[in-house]
Amino acid sequence: MMSKSMKVAVALAAAMSLSAASAQAQSANINALANVFQAITVTGAANLQFGNVFPGVNKTVDASTNANSGRFDLTGQASQNLALTFTLPTNLDDGATHLLPIATWTGCLANTASQAGCASFTPSAGATNTTFSGASAKSVYVGATVSPAAAQVAGSYLGTVTLTAAYF
Amino acid sequence: MPRCVSPLLFAICLLARPLAGQTQVSGVRDLTFGIVVAGVPTTVSPNDPVKSGQFYIRYVTGGRVRVRLTLPATLNRVGGGGTMPISFGNGDAFALGTSSGSVPNPFNPSGLLNYRFTGSPDMNIWLGGRVTPGGAIPAGSYTAPVVITAIFF
Repeated sequence: MMSKSMKVAVALAAAMSLSAASAQAQSANINALANVFQAITVTGAANLQFGNVFPGVNKTVDASTNANSGRFDLTGQASQNLALTFTLPTNLDDGATHLLPIATWTGCLANTASQAGCASFTPSAGATNTTFSGASAKSVYVGATVSPAAAQVAGSYLGTVTLTAAYF
Repeated sequence: MPRCVSPLLFAICLLARPLAGQTQVSGVRDLTFGIVVAGVPTTVSPNDPVKSGQFYIRYVTGGRVRVRLTLPATLNRVGGGGTMPISFGNGDAFALGTSSGSVPNPFNPSGLLNYRFTGSPDMNIWLGGRVTPGGAIPAGSYTAPVVITAIFF
């Protein structure tokens, strides 16, 4: 016959077993989310052409009207927001250390490769925000003004304009 | 709960006190990769203050919990038509108590986390990861659940 203290010990052991077996599980969840967009492509479609330039005479190519404007063509996710940034030269050079200043940049945004009705902006290193058209396209025109010195050395002068585009 | 009508039964009542009501497990924030470009892998750090996933667990100071995350291998396109691999590696998760002296406890989210609540009765788990969209993956929203299971002792 079990003594009272033995009964208590057995009961406590059973209770401990019950306590250990009452480890409780709970669950919850979150989601992992992503929005896949079509990759952006940027193509240099037309060079910015100043043509013949004369010493001491500034020459301007306006991005919104001049057929000699530079042009980039972009494709990407239809109707999505797009940030454009530019790396712009301050001089064109002839490869022989002679520099031709370039400044006063102009830009124009269009949904097709046409300047008609394009939206003017100022290209810079800061972002210009726009959107892709419903047809996943965008054309970006650029122009500027070159300022040859009175004693500018004759020759061909060249610079590089870089456009970077990113979704936001 | 049984009535504690005798000293013996009272001892059983104390030791067999249920955990329900002391515990809380909840999802706080989705793991959000945001805009992902086809063909470009994208990573979210568990330290990202906006994009990392977050769970909250509450128990009692001094208590212990074992945590397991059930992680997806792919995200599925909403409306069908595509999947995107997702992966998790060592260091893509960490646990952090809410007391001022708590230090981050990094762990591999594919494994188990054994955690003891010291200094506070609650903690958060943050989760990062990596998606690897194929170059021809269809555009759209992709999603999959991440489930946390916590066993309290």
